[in-house]
Amino acid sequence: MMDILFPALLGALELSAKLILIIVPLVTLFEVLRHLPVFRRAGNLVEPMMRGVGLTRDAAVPLFTGIFLGIAYGAGIIIRVAQQKGLPARELFLMGLFLATCHSVIEDVLIFVVIGGNGPAILGVRLGLAVVLTGLMARVWKPA
Amino acid sequence: MNETETSAAAEEPIPDIPTRIRTGLSAGFWTSVKIIKVSVPLYVAVTLLKETPFIDLLGKVFAPVMGIFGLPGETAFAFVAAFLLNMYAAIAVMVPLNLTPFQVTQCGLMMGIAHNLVVEGGVLSTTGARGGVLTLCRLVIACAAGLLLRGLWGLWEIAAAWAMSPPGLS
Repeated sequence: MMDILFPALLGALELSAKLILIIVPLVTLFEVLRHLPVFRRAGNLVEPMMRGVGLTRDAAVPLFTGIFLGIAYGAGIIIRVAQQKGLPARELFLMGLFLATCHSVIEDVLIFVVIGGNGPAILGVRLGLAVVLTGLMARVWKPA
Repeated sequence: MNETETSAAAEEPIPDIPTRIRTGLSAGFWTSVKIIKVSVPLYVAVTLLKETPFIDLLGKVFAPVMGIFGLPGETAFAFVAAFLLNMYAAIAVMVPLNLTPFQVTQCGLMMGIAHNLVVEGGVLSTTGARGGVLTLCRLVIACAAGLLLRGLWGLWEIAAAWAMSPPGLS
């Protein structure tokens, strides 16, 4: 029993260390940068795209963090922003649906390209499905 | 533009940089703790489950349906590894199977959408979203994406074959 439990606990410790090492600098960087005018301008730029899938600019930072970094590390920013801005349940669900289909795209696609997969096909179908599904869901679930 | 939102953002007092760094460090730490509390027990549970015959059993149950997605039955074991653990575990199972480029792409697409479901489902719940519903969505979406890619790839191959040998020449 011990020889099974020990690696599991060691792995758990490693996972915890990894989460802290990635989330703490990420959230700190976000806190330092979020007041910069560039941040607001970038928000204006993505707002029309976000509206198409039923999201507001408040969800932009957690959405893009999730798309590039994945759910576990992105969650650090998602939890933080959801607390700060009080994202409504509808927006949390839509963002979750988008990220469920399309997250951690760089790492995910690259490891399969390495073993012989077609990168553009994987990325294209995931991104297309995410936009279509979230857009549809946003029209089914009207804002309150 | 949204007037109320812009003005609210402008009225928020902007703290100095040391304050922001302190806020970020403590918020980042407590957010990590929140995520660790959920993900570590789930991670340990899944790692222990890996040592039981459960994973083999699950693979045997799913093997016959893999054909729907144009995949050989053995890939079911890779999918179980991806769903419960992560894609690196799945790739370790896939490599000895000598899959075609389509099959590798198909696995990459479907596993990219649905992997590490237990731990990530727990993490999604801590954000306040419906973790269980979203996890179910991921499985359904992965299947839909698999069918879609199979269809698209088939069309692509027909088009490529047609382009290589125009009807007039054959």
